[in-house]
Amino acid sequence: MPSTRPTRKAAAKAAPAPTKKSPSAKAVSTPSKKSAPATAFPKSKKRTVAEAQREESDDEFGDVEIDMASDDEEGDDEDMDGDDEEDFEADEFPEEEGQDMSAADIEDDEEDDDSEGSYMDGDSIVDSQEENDEEGSDFDDILNEDKDIDPNFGHNLNEPLPVEDDYNPIRREYPEIDAVYDSDSSTEENENTVGNIPMQWYDDYPHIGYDVDGKKIMKPATGDELDKFLSTMDDPDSWLSAHNYKEGQDVKLTAEELEIIRRLEGNRIPDADYNQYEDQVEFFSSHTEVMPLSAAPEPKRRFIPSKHEAKRIMKIVRAIREGRIVPRKSGYVPPKPKFYNLWNDTEDKPREEHVMHITAPKMKLPTHDESYNPPAEYLPTEEEINEWNELDKEDRPKNYLPQKYNALRNVPGYGQFIQERFERCLDLYLAPRVRKNRLNIDPESLIPKLPSPRDLQPFPTRLAIEFLGHQGRVRSISVDPSGLWLASGSDDKTVRVWEVATGRCMATYHLDELVTSVVWGPSKEVAVIAVSCGYKVGLILPEKIFSPELTLHSEEYLKAGFANAATAEANSKAQWKQPTPAEFDQGIRVWVHLQKAVKQVTWHRKGDYFATVAPDANNSAVLIHQLTKHQTQQPFKKTKGAVQRVMFHPTKPMFFVATQRYVRQYNLQRQELIKTMMTGVKWISSLDVHPAGDNLIIGSYDKRLCWFDLDLSSKPYKTLRYHQQAIRSVAYHKRYPLFASCADDGNVQIFHGMVYNDLLQNPLIVPVKILKNVHERVDALGALCVEWHPTQPWLISSGADHTIKLFS
Amino acid sequence: MDALAQGPQVQVKFVTQQRQYAIPETAIQTPARLKRYGLSQIINLVLQNEGEKQKPFDFLIDGEFLRASLAEYLEENNLSTENVLTIEYVESMLPPTPLSSYEHDDWVSAVQAHHLGGFVTGSYDNHVRLWNKLAECTQILTGHNGPVKAVQWLTSNGDSGTLLSGALDRSILAWEYNNADNSHSVLYECRGHTGGIESISLNATGDKFASASTDATIKIWTTIIPTVSDHIEEVTETRKKRKTVKEDRILKAPILTLAAHTGPVSAVVFDPTSADTLYSAGWDHSVRVWDVENRVNVTTKNCEKVVHALDYSQHSGLLASGHADPVIRLWDPRTEDSSVVKQTLSGHQNWVTSVSWSPSSSYMLASGSYDGLIKVWDIRAKGALYTLSHGKGSKKVLSIDWSNDILLSGGEDNQMKIHKMQDMSEHNEA
Repeated sequence: MPSTRPTRKAAAKAAPAPTKKSPSAKAVSTPSKKSAPATAFPKSKKRTVAEAQREESDDEFGDVEIDMASDDEEGDDEDMDGDDEEDFEADEFPEEEGQDMSAADIEDDEEDDDSEGSYMDGDSIVDSQEENDEEGSDFDDILNEDKDIDPNFGHNLNEPLPVEDDYNPIRREYPEIDAVYDSDSSTEENENTVGNIPMQWYDDYPHIGYDVDGKKIMKPATGDELDKFLSTMDDPDSWLSAHNYKEGQDVKLTAEELEIIRRLEGNRIPDADYNQYEDQVEFFSSHTEVMPLSAAPEPKRRFIPSKHEAKRIMKIVRAIREGRIVPRKSGYVPPKPKFYNLWNDTEDKPREEHVMHITAPKMKLPTHDESYNPPAEYLPTEEEINEWNELDKEDRPKNYLPQKYNALRNVPGYGQFIQERFERCLDLYLAPRVRKNRLNIDPESLIPKLPSPRDLQPFPTRLAIEFLGHQGRVRSISVDPSGLWLASGSDDKTVRVWEVATGRCMATYHLDELVTSVVWGPSKEVAVIAVSCGYKVGLILPEKIFSPELTLHSEEYLKAGFANAATAEANSKAQWKQPTPAEFDQGIRVWVHLQKAVKQVTWHRKGDYFATVAPDANNSAVLIHQLTKHQTQQPFKKTKGAVQRVMFHPTKPMFFVATQRYVRQYNLQRQELIKTMMTGVKWISSLDVHPAGDNLIIGSYDKRLCWFDLDLSSKPYKTLRYHQQAIRSVAYHKRYPLFASCADDGNVQIFHGMVYNDLLQNPLIVPVKILKNVHERVDALGALCVEWHPTQPWLISSGADHTIKLFS
Repeated sequence: MDALAQGPQVQVKFVTQQRQYAIPETAIQTPARLKRYGLSQIINLVLQNEGEKQKPFDFLIDGEFLRASLAEYLEENNLSTENVLTIEYVESMLPPTPLSSYEHDDWVSAVQAHHLGGFVTGSYDNHVRLWNKLAECTQILTGHNGPVKAVQWLTSNGDSGTLLSGALDRSILAWEYNNADNSHSVLYECRGHTGGIESISLNATGDKFASASTDATIKIWTTIIPTVSDHIEEVTETRKKRKTVKEDRILKAPILTLAAHTGPVSAVVFDPTSADTLYSAGWDHSVRVWDVENRVNVTTKNCEKVVHALDYSQHSGLLASGHADPVIRLWDPRTEDSSVVKQTLSGHQNWVTSVSWSPSSSYMLASGSYDGLIKVWDIRAKGALYTLSHGKGSKKVLSIDWSNDILLSGGEDNQMKIHKMQDMSEHNEA
C-alpha cells in the first residue's frame, strides 16, 4: 500500500496546482460565487449545486426549489438510508478496509494540502478562499472523486443506487471549481480503466483497477460500519450519496441526478425537457407539395415525346389540312385590353399611340436671367428697361425683367403666376396635338428653274448718263427711231430733245401747258414728235438735228394735211390748226385741239395715224388722227369705262384699249371687238404691246404687272408684284427680250421676257435687275416713265425728281 | 546693308532694254521684302546715281509690273526663292502734271494738239477754237451749225495751217487759218453725210481722211483743195434760211463710202503705218478693219457693247476701244478671230468715250470716261497707273488726245485741260 501513497499524493498535488495557480480562473469564478448563475459548464453546474448546498447550511435557504426538495426528502431519505444501510452492509463489507485505508490516506493528504496551502499563501488572489479551503481540507480528493463520477454516472444509474450508509468524512463544503479546460475529468490520470466488469473481481485486491498508465489504482480507505454510521449520522445529506464501485467511494448525487432518479422512480421519462406528446409533423401525407422534398431523379417519361400529344397535334394538323380549321391571318393583333391602369405612374399611356400625336410641350427651364440673383450681365440697363416698358405687352420678347435680390427671402411673390398658369393652360388646351398631314416640300424646289441673270445679258445694270435740265416732273420720254435722240415732256411746260450719247440737251420747246405725253414718230423718214399738252396735241419738227433732206420731207409731210383739212368738214371733236409764227419758229408745225385734256398720244407703226386718249371726254375719249389728211375719227361710239391707255398693234390693224380694269383688243378693219382681257387689277396705269404683237404687259396702280399672252387666255399669263408702289409705266424693248416697269417707289425693275416663236412654248419671264431708287420720290411720285433705247439694251427712265436717266 | 540683309533673300537678275540704264547682268542677292522703291534704290546704287540724278524705276516680272513686294509676288505665283528671278526694269513714268485749263463757252467735245504747239478744240457752241500754249484763244472758227464733234489737224507750221472739223450738222469743214493776221477761212465743205460727224482721221500720207458719222457710214475724202464745187445731188432748198447760211462754200464730195456698219459709226482711225488701212467702230458693237484701197471690210470684230472710241498704236499694233461700259478693250487687228479681246482694262466707273495711245510708248494709253476721270494705263500693269480728275465733280470727259508729252482733255465742264506727260519715247528706243 505504501507504494500507492506517493502516487495518490502526487496526483492530489498535481490536481490542485493548476487550479489554484491560474489567476484568470479565479477572476472568472469570483463573481459567479456571489450571483450564482447557472453556467453552461457541466462542472460549474455541479459547483452551483455544491454552492447551494453550502449556502443552505451556512446561512438561510438560498434556493427555494432545491431546499424544498431536500427538505421534503430529508426525512424520507433518512428512513430510506436506514433501510439501505441494512441492505448493503453485508454486501459491501469487504470495501470497508479499503475505505479505511483511503481515509487514512486522506488525512495524510490533508496535511500535505496544508503544506501546500501554506506554500500557496503567497498567492494573494486566492487568499479569501483559503479559509474555506482549509475548512474543507480534503476538497482535492473530493474534487477528484466528483470528477470520476461524471463519466461513469450513466453506468451507475443502471445499477442499483448505493444510497446508503457510506461514511463520508469529507466536509460537504466544496471548494470552487476552476472551469479550466484542462480540468476536464476525461484527461484525469487516475481514471479507472478496468471497464464494465463486476467490480467484485477486485474485492480481493488492494487496488481497484488501473489507470491509463497501467498503474494500479489503490482502493480508497474505507471506514468500518461504525464510521459509516457515524458519518451517516453526522451528514444529513448522506442519503444523497451513492457508492461508486469503480472508485470504491461514495459519491454525492447532484440535484439533477436526484431528479432523474426521482423521475425514474415515478416511471416518467428521465429527461424533463423531453416532450413525448409533441405535435406530429406529417412528412408523408396525401398533400402534394409545391417543392417536393423528394430527391428522386427525373422520370424517363419526361424525356420521351408524348404519344398522346403527338396524336392531338396530328388531329389538329389534319383538321387544318382538310380545311376544318382556318388559321388566323398573319396581321392579326390580339385585342388590347379595354381598360388601363389609371394610376399607373410609370407607363402612363392612356391615349392610343399614334405617330402623329404630339405630346404637350414641356415648360422651359428657367435660365440665368430668371434667377433671383442673376449675374450682372443679365441685369437690364436703364435703356433696356425703358425700351421694355415702352413695348406693347405682346411685342415683348419676354414678359419679365431680370431683377436682383440680395437673398432668396427678399424675393416677393410672383404676380404673374396665375396669369402664366392660365395662359399655359390655354396654350395646352388650344394647341393642336395632332400633326397635320403637311407635305414637306422645300419651297425652293417649287420655284421654277430660271436661268441665271448672268446668262441673260445684256441688260442695263448701271447708270450711265443723267439728262439734267428739266424744271418739273418729267412725265414722258421717247427715243427717236435711230436711237440718237431723246425727247422728254415735263411739267415745266417744255419738251426737250437730248443727245442720247452725251446727255446734251439739243433743243427746248416751250409750250403753254403741262406736257403729258411725248412720242417720236415711228418713221425714220419723218422726224416728228407728237406732244400732248393740255387740251391739244402738237406735232413738233426738230429741225436742227436732222439732215435738211429729212427735215424738208417731214415739213411737207406735216403740211400736206392742211390743204385737205380745208375741204373736210370741221370736226367738232378735234380741230387741226396752224401754229402761230412764233410757235412755228420753235418747231411746232401742227396743233390738234381736242375737247378734253389729253393724257396720251400714241403712234401707229407707219407714222401716219396717231391716237389720243382724253379720259374725261366720255365717248370721244379715244380718237384716231390721220396726219397726212388732218382727219380725226372716233373709233368707238361708246366707250366702256374710263380709258387709260390705247395702243396700236405693232404689225396688224388692231387696237388695244385699256380701261380701268380691262384691256380690249379691237380689229380696226372689221371694227369689232376681238378679245377682252381680264386683268384682275384695280386700275391700269400703263400698257405696252410686245413688238411681235402676241403679248402685252400692263402696269397697274395696285403695284401689279400683268403679262398677257393673247393667244393663250384672257387671264394674265403671269402677274408680277415686285413693286412697292403704284406702277407708272411699263415698256417692252423692241429688239432685246427685255421689258421694264417703273413705279412710284422710285425703282425700276428689269425683266427678261423671252417670247418664243414656238406657239407651244410659253414666254419666259425672269427678273434680272432691280434698279433701286432711280428717282427720288417727290410728292409721292417716283419714276414716271420708262423707255427702251430702240437699238441698244439701254433703259431710259424719267422721274418726278426732274431727271432723266440712262442705264446701260 | 545689315538691315537689308534681314529676312529671306532672293536671287534676282536685273535686265533692261533701256541701254542708258543698263547694269551688268549678274544675279544679286536681295531681300525678298523689297518693293519697287527698294529695288529702284539698288539700281540707282549700281548706276551710281546720287542725289537728284536718282531715277525711279518700275520693275517687270514676266511682263507684269511688280506692285507688291518680291516675297508677295513669289508667294502669289507659287515660286521658290531658290531660283534666280529675272526682273526687267524700266524708268518709271512720272505722274502727269496739270499744266493749265482753257475755258470754253460750252462743252468741249473735240480736242487735238499739234506737235508744233497749237491746240484745236471743237465745242458744243458750234465753234472751233485754236489755242496757243499760253492758253490764249488765237482764233474762233465759226461756220458750223451744230456742235463740233471732231477736229483734225491737216497741216500746220505753228502760226498758220489747215485743219478739219466735223460737226453734228453733218458737214466737215476744212479751215485755213493764219494767226499772224488773225484770219481764217473755210477752204471747202465736205458734204455727203446724213448724220452728225463723230470722228475724223487723217491717213499717214496725209492725202486722205476718213469721217465717221451717225448715219452708219464712213466716207473717205481727199485733202486736195478743190477749186470748184463737186456736183452734189442736193435737195432743192426751198427755205431761204438755208440759202443764206450756205453762201458760196466750195463743196466736196467723198471719194468713197464705206457702208457696213449697221449703227452709228462713232470712231474712225487710220493706221499711221499704212496709208490704206482704216479702223472703225460703232454702235453696232463692231470694230472693223478696212482696206480703203480695195474698199473692203477686211475683218470685223464684235463685242457686246457699243463702241464709243477707238485708237490704234503703231508701237504695239493694238487697237484700244472705249465702250458703253466701264471697260477698255484691246484688240489685235491682225488676228482673224472675230470676237477675241486681247485684254481688258477696267477701272472706270462709266462709259469710256475716248481713248488715246501714247504717241511714243507701246504700253501706255490714256482714256477719258463719263465718270469724269482720265486714266493713264500701262497695259502691263493691273489697273491704271494714274488717275487724273478732269474737272470738278464727275463732269463727263468727252474727248482726250495724247500727243507727244501733252495730254489734252475736254469735257462737260467747258474746260480743256492740259497735262504734261513724261515723254517716254527715249525709253523705248531699244
